[in-house]
Amino acid sequence: MSRVQVDRERCVGSGVCESLAPEVFEIDDDGALVVHRPEPAEDELDGVRDAVQACPARALALAE
Amino acid sequence: MSVNTPAQFDIEAIDLSDRDFWAEPPAARHAVFDRLRAERPFAHFAEPQVEGIEPGPGYYAVTRHADLDAISSQPLVFCSGKGAVSIQDVPADLNEFYGSMISMDDPRHARIRRIVSKTFTPRMLEQVVDSVVGIVDDVLADARRKAEAGDGSLDVVADIAAPIPLRIICDMMGVPEEDRAEVLAASNVILAGGDPELTDPDDPLGALINAGIALAGIMERLAAERLARPTDDLTTALVTTEVDGEKLSHQEIGSFFILLLVAGNETTRNAISQGLLTLSENPEQRARWMADPSLDKTAVEEIVRYISPVTWMRRTATQDGEVNGHTFKEGDKFLLFYAAANRDPELFADPHVFDLTRNPNPHVGFGGHGPHFCLGAHLARRELAVTFRRLFEVCPDLEITGEPARLRSSFVNGLKRLPARLTGER
Repeated sequence: MSRVQVDRERCVGSGVCESLAPEVFEIDDDGALVVHRPEPAEDELDGVRDAVQACPARALALAE
Repeated sequence: MSVNTPAQFDIEAIDLSDRDFWAEPPAARHAVFDRLRAERPFAHFAEPQVEGIEPGPGYYAVTRHADLDAISSQPLVFCSGKGAVSIQDVPADLNEFYGSMISMDDPRHARIRRIVSKTFTPRMLEQVVDSVVGIVDDVLADARRKAEAGDGSLDVVADIAAPIPLRIICDMMGVPEEDRAEVLAASNVILAGGDPELTDPDDPLGALINAGIALAGIMERLAAERLARPTDDLTTALVTTEVDGEKLSHQEIGSFFILLLVAGNETTRNAISQGLLTLSENPEQRARWMADPSLDKTAVEEIVRYISPVTWMRRTATQDGEVNGHTFKEGDKFLLFYAAANRDPELFADPHVFDLTRNPNPHVGFGGHGPHFCLGAHLARRELAVTFRRLFEVCPDLEITGEPARLRSSFVNGLKRLPARLTGER
């Protein structure tokens, strides 16, 4: 099972992840990242990988 | 310096601090970036002279994508707090006043950014998309009325590209109608980059300060009103949100307002005006995009890459070190030339070709990896997608009729005017 990891120190709440995998990521009202599905479904993994790659703060990782 | 024969010009004659260079057409500027990227990826230049400011040690011009991204993603080594939007060191208070969090480092940067980040996420912007469509349609209807009342001619910048982002950002902030003309004029001065047409050539620093004072004054009034009577706008969020038990100070709010106005207006304005210009120079691309809305996503990314509305941001080394083979000393200044990195052949096949289907498109038009990645990227993408789609639908008869007047600024890749007309043929 693949698992999403977030480096909270680095995250700036840019929401790039949310735009690429909205079912997995959301920036909440406090500007903090909420990971709705820490273990994303198979068909969500492409979006999550894109998000890991694109995260401007390099705050995301996917442990596979 | 003349760059009519790109392959033959003398690399020693290149001077990115020469104002006249920034009046050259884009092809000539990119020919210079190509030479620097290939032959002197960390070229050093003396700082431009500005009346009233002591010249500093100069700067390194970063033109390769890999170097730019490496510097951008190490904010502890390459800081923003010494100034991100000016080459010269300016007094720290002035720097923060005009740059807000763009010229800050974490943790202060992160503290302010988190207060506003929610407003700019894709999900929140879904809720404002209807209002974006409404604003774009209003502006286009006004432009058509004005053109048709005369001989059909209009100015793309004043009649289309400037009012759209201004109205959107002012709506988000809750700026009243009667203040908007002043907001536009002041943000023009702040980003004029010394262009004598838009600022006072005898006292550019004085003009800049007055523009900042005008914007801060509008914001102070607005902030006080929202504190007394909260609404659902961004200004209310700024005055009421607490982070770690602290609210933003009035000065922080004023500076953030300036940042939003300036960053949220001019960049999108120039992407719209130059996007239209580039489409008119590439009619086959225009026809293809017009016929196929599924290209909206890649087309918007390509416009941002190709135009690179913000030409550079600055970083300053906080320690001695080495990056991709280049050794540097504490205090060295680096200008990250997004415009150059976005044409780097290492990453982009046929980098000078405008290709609306380009995918992947890892451009740095919104900044490289790092904490300062453009806060408004999602909003800008949305504004651009809506604007071009509505333009295709409502103004398919728009025709560029003359040469653009370019802003003579190294920092903003801008147009002051772009003559066009509505032919009335549909």
